[in-house]
Formats: sequence, C-alpha cells, structure tokens
Amino acid sequence: MRDLQLDNVGRRYGLRGPWILRGVTLTLAPHTLTRVEGTNGTGKSTLLRLLAGIDAPTEGRVTGRPRTAYVPERFPQALPFTAEGYLTHLGTVHGLSRAAAARAAGEWLDRFGATAHANTPMTRLSKGSSQKVAVAQALLAEPDLLVLDEAWTGLDAEAGAELERAVAERTAAGGAVVFVDHDPSRLAGASDATYTVAEGALKHRTDKATSPSGPQVSVDVQGPPGGQLPSEARQFLTASTQLTPGTHRLTVPASHSDVLLRALLTARPPWHVVSLKQSADPDHLPLDDEGPR
Amino acid sequence: MTAMAALLRYQAALLLRSQRWLPPVILYAAFLGIGVQGGQPVLDSLGYTAAALLPVAAWLVRICTTNEPPAARSCVAAAVGPARAHLACLLVALGTAAAFGTAATLVVTLISDPASADHRTRVPLLAAGTAGLLAVLVCALLGTAVGALTNWPLLRSPGRAVPAMLLAALLSVVVTGSPAQAAVSGLVTGSQSGTVPVPLLPLAGAALVTAAVTAATCALTSRRSP
Repeated sequence: MRDLQLDNVGRRYGLRGPWILRGVTLTLAPHTLTRVEGTNGTGKSTLLRLLAGIDAPTEGRVTGRPRTAYVPERFPQALPFTAEGYLTHLGTVHGLSRAAAARAAGEWLDRFGATAHANTPMTRLSKGSSQKVAVAQALLAEPDLLVLDEAWTGLDAEAGAELERAVAERTAAGGAVVFVDHDPSRLAGASDATYTVAEGALKHRTDKATSPSGPQVSVDVQGPPGGQLPSEARQFLTASTQLTPGTHRLTVPASHSDVLLRALLTARPPWHVVSLKQSADPDHLPLDDEGPR
Repeated sequence: MTAMAALLRYQAALLLRSQRWLPPVILYAAFLGIGVQGGQPVLDSLGYTAAALLPVAAWLVRICTTNEPPAARSCVAAAVGPARAHLACLLVALGTAAAFGTAATLVVTLISDPASADHRTRVPLLAAGTAGLLAVLVCALLGTAVGALTNWPLLRSPGRAVPAMLLAALLSVVVTGSPAQAAVSGLVTGSQSGTVPVPLLPLAGAALVTAAVTAATCALTSRRSP
C-alpha cells in the first residue's frame, strides 16, 4: 500500500456554503494507527469521509487511494437482508469471491459474538448487533485503509475489545487505520499520531503525556542467542527491558498482545514466551534504550 | 468476480427484496390495461407500451437511489468509490425497466392485430416487435436519465424531486425533439401508413443523453452532501 495523502484539502457543501474543513494536509502511512479528536460539529466526520473517499475535496488533492473500508457511527437496520446475506454481498463488493465472502462473513460474525444473528433479518437486529454487522462489513476484506467513525458506539464491551484487537491486526498486517472515538482510553497508547480538528483546521497533537496509555500486557520472552526482536514485534512496544542476557520483558497496549505474540511465535527462529502479565498501571514500567517508538 | 458485477448483484438484490419495485409494475400494468386491448393495431399499441414505460423507469431510478440508507451507501462508496456505487443504482434501474418493457412488448405484439391503423395493410409482426423493443429501450434510457436528473445527488427533498420527475417524464414523451417522442410518434405514424419504422436515430440520441446525464450525476455524488 502507498501512503494516502491529503494535500491542502478543503471541503464545503454547495457553491457558497461555509468551509467545514480547510488547509488539511495529512499522510496516512501503512502500519500506522491515527486518532482524530475534536468536539462535536468540528468536521471530524467530514475529514473521515474525505479519507474514506466518500466525499471529494472541494479544493486540494487526495492521492494514493488504497483499498478502503468505512464504518459509520450508526448503522441502519432498514436493509432487506439477513446479517450474513448482507455481509456476503458486501464482501463481494469489496472484491472477495462469493465463497470467500460467505466464509469471511461467518468468521467475523463469530468473532463479534453475533453468530446467533447470522440468519436474522437486519430489520430485527438490535442496535448493537447491527453495529457489529457494520464493523464486520469493513473488516472482512482486510482493507488497506480502515476508517472508523465512532465505530464503537453501541458495541458491548467484548465486541469493543475485539474491534480493538482487529485494529491491531490490521496495522500489524500493513494497513492504515484512522479512527474517531469519544472515549479517550480507546486504543490508548497505541496511536502513532493524534490530530485535533478545531475551527475547520487540523492540528497535529504532540503532547503525548495527556493521553492515557491504558491497560498494558507485559510478556517475558527468551530469544535465540544473539537474536534480534522481529520488526513486527518491535512496532507496537510501549516498553522493553532486558532482564538477563537473552531474556526481555516486552510491554504493549493490551489490544496488541495477540499481534505481539503472533510475531514472536512465528519469527524464524521463534522466540520462547516465558510468562505473560496484564497490568493496569503502565507508568511504573521501565523504559530502556532498546527502543519503544 | 469484478467489483461492478458484485455491485450490480447487490443493488438488484436490494431492489428485489425491498419489494418497492411492485408499485411501478402495477402502475405500468394498469397503464397498459387501460390503453392496450387485444386486436388493436400493433404499432399503435407498441407506441403506447413504450411511452408508458418512461415514467416507470424514472420511478425505478428514484427507488434505487433512495433504497439504501445513507450510512449503508457510505460503506459501499468507501469500497468502490461513490461514482461507481451510483452507476450501479442507475444500471439496475435501467435494466429492470428494460426487462419490464421487453415483457410488455412481447405480450402486446402477440395480442395485437398485425395491421395498420385502418386495419387494411398488413404489418409484419417480427419487424413490428423489433421496432417496439427499440422504442421501449429508448424510453427506458430516457426515463433513467429523467430519474437521475431529478433525484439524489441533484434533488433530494421529495417535495421537489417527485413533481420535477413527473413533469420531466411527461415532457420527455410529448416535446418534439425528445428521442422518446421521436420513437413513439415514429411508431404511431408508421401505423397510419402500415410501414414499420426502425428507430435507430432516437436510440442513439437516448443513449447519448443518458450516458452524459449518468456521467454527470455519478461525478456529482462525491461533491454533494449525503
């Protein structure tokens, strides 16, 4: 995937409408997670629609459009399909074969705990369940760019955590993910960049200290002699300490523990996982020179 | 499977399962039931069959463009681009209208009298049916253009869209210079003399107009508010 680039982009509705956004320059690179903040009505959703390619900029240029998927805040129930039927259709629209789309639809409904609703008409789904369908629709074709506009709204805690893990998987696999969420602890500590939309302009936020880092998972691992940590594992570390020569304690946001373990266990030669521990308070974890980002 | 084929299947399934295609079919059947009777001159009846299809095609476009809730449309637009998503809507409406028109033309050709308006000159049935099919295609195309011009993304509030659509559909059938009017009046005047017209010029005109309107409205989808 190439970088998606917004170059001095502005957007307004109608010929003389007020500018909703202006002068936005932004790059979304592969392997990155980007958070967009801002109070209501500042143009966050408009920015996300531009990033998703649903809206075209009134001025400026967007280049490098990758395979994109979008999740809206509230998904409509007024669709004449079953959950699985809709997902299979959307899978093929995203470019999967029918068989692959049907398989992926089943898998993602399963991951979000909605298998029981696979054959339920969309019109009879609860708000939470139809949001699960919206999220599954975006994830099933493994998009290069995933745009989440308050996608967690209405999801239960388990499905919300699963979506965080799915986001971690997408970025680990080389995708770019951009999201808006009102909960500041959402994917805390995992964002590569945070932007604030205010008064129609975009500002890069650099004060990392104010954003909470959220629950973390520490993994003690033993590497092969002289082995380097695989780069997929290094990517998400918030801390890393050498305990004894060859043994390391790696810390990642809780949402990223699966992708860290996968990277370690599938490395060649593989790393050995000694122990694993979740910690709610990350501030006491030591940092050393081995390089969190 | 290509994305466009998948999109067409999705839009067609959306239309079919929503059952919103039923009212325009019933309207079309009612039109034909009132205007066409067995044993009437074939070219006159075929002209009527084609003309009645135009508002039906426009209505089908309205159904297809409003069938998908905006949030669902956004999901599809992100995947394939908003222009292609809209193109699929228009193509499904056009295909459905053409299918209705074809079925109606077949029936009308078979039940009509293969003769001129004064029942004196014989009219070859196959040629008449072909001319009727071409005229139906002209009206389906132009009705699609009318529907595309009078619905989202150009007009959104039903208070404006529906009257504009009805007026534009009526004008497209009666105003001289419209390909639909040319095709229909070609059939009717052909019926008087007993000669079967070949409305290729109106077909080319309708195809051109509809292609231009389709391109323009598809390009607008990403520029208008959802």
